Amino acid sequence: MEKADDIMAMCLHAGQLMLRYGSETFRVEDTMRRMGQAAGMEQVNTFVTTTAIFLSFKSPVDQRDHIQMLRIEERYQDLSKVTSVNQLSREYVSGLLTSREVKKQLKEIEESPMNYPVWFIYLASGIGGGAFSYLIGSSIMDMLPAALGGLVTAVALVRYQMRLKVKFFSEFLASFTGALIAMLMVQMGLVMNTNQVIIGTIIPLVPGVPLTNAVRDLMSGDLVAGVARGAEAAVSSMSIAGGVAVALTIFFV
Amino acid sequence: MAMFALELGLCFVATIAFAIIFNIPLRLVWWGGFIGVCTWAIYSLMPVLGLSLVFAAAVAAFFASFVSQWFARFMKVPVTTFSLPGIIPLIPGSRAYETMLAFVQERYLYGLEQGVETVLQAIAIAAGLVFAFSVFSVGKGVGQRYETHR
Repeated sequence: MEKADDIMAMCLHAGQLMLRYGSETFRVEDTMRRMGQAAGMEQVNTFVTTTAIFLSFKSPVDQRDHIQMLRIEERYQDLSKVTSVNQLSREYVSGLLTSREVKKQLKEIEESPMNYPVWFIYLASGIGGGAFSYLIGSSIMDMLPAALGGLVTAVALVRYQMRLKVKFFSEFLASFTGALIAMLMVQMGLVMNTNQVIIGTIIPLVPGVPLTNAVRDLMSGDLVAGVARGAEAAVSSMSIAGGVAVALTIFFV
Repeated sequence: MAMFALELGLCFVATIAFAIIFNIPLRLVWWGGFIGVCTWAIYSLMPVLGLSLVFAAAVAAFFASFVSQWFARFMKVPVTTFSLPGIIPLIPGSRAYETMLAFVQERYLYGLEQGVETVLQAIAIAAGLVFAFSVFSVGKGVGQRYETHR
């Protein structure tokens, strides 16, 4: 039987990575509980909100209660890391890995770079914006300006976040920059369907992870986390809409 | 017909691009693209049959979420990996833009009208997700009203 502190550190680390990279709350709770039980701990209890993790269990070795809390400061969207930690926990629970190996691999997952290089994400934003814009306006000519706008928005978002480190304000500025570029192209007469180009430009900013997680958390009974995620998604959407509205005001009024 | 095929093709590309934006592993993005294409087909074909866009969004979201749950169970990965790109084509971007434009131009009544439609469609997507999720959590849900099993 391993020491309770080691098990505690392993479970918390797994939960921390999942929550940080955009997993649903109930999945974090479920993963930590299963890992704790697989390690032989009794009375495993977890409580996870969007910004903190609590874990407590009773060790059968020393018959004492262990409880720790962990604050999650940073949050990113990187579902491939969530998938890797999920896979790792499944392997641990079914007994394929020891806790030492799990710890080593968790460290590797934490230290590994993003699944895709950042230029590839810029490219995907451009292509995604262009292709999605066709679904809205069905004009082939306008796909290129929309793709350019989507690319600019994604680059702007990453740059602003690197400099400012303020989530909602960076989203506001990024959508403002993107919409400004799109409106400039409209003014230059390159665009037939303004609607389509603006949407293609700001669609890479959609807060998809908090939105879907909010619905799922609310449904699985994690009301605190669900409401918190919903608020995050709402403020994000409002920032993005505000950025576009400011850019539109400059040109339309 | 050729236009519809082009739409579906571009929808596939868009969905995969969004899966990459959300950093979903490359071996799984293709399934997300497949779900996105089916979602878009449902969403754009149902109004042809005379049903409202909001209802179409709800059914399409239900489909996306339902299939995602199956795939997730089958491949043993988190559901979000599939459902997130799957519902991207349903985002009411055009309506949201109309709303903002109307408010910027001080056409408040039209803005409210468009805003209500935007919100309704968003709620319809959420409802579709909730429905599919409920189907899969039959027997293990939480929060019953009466404790009848004692």
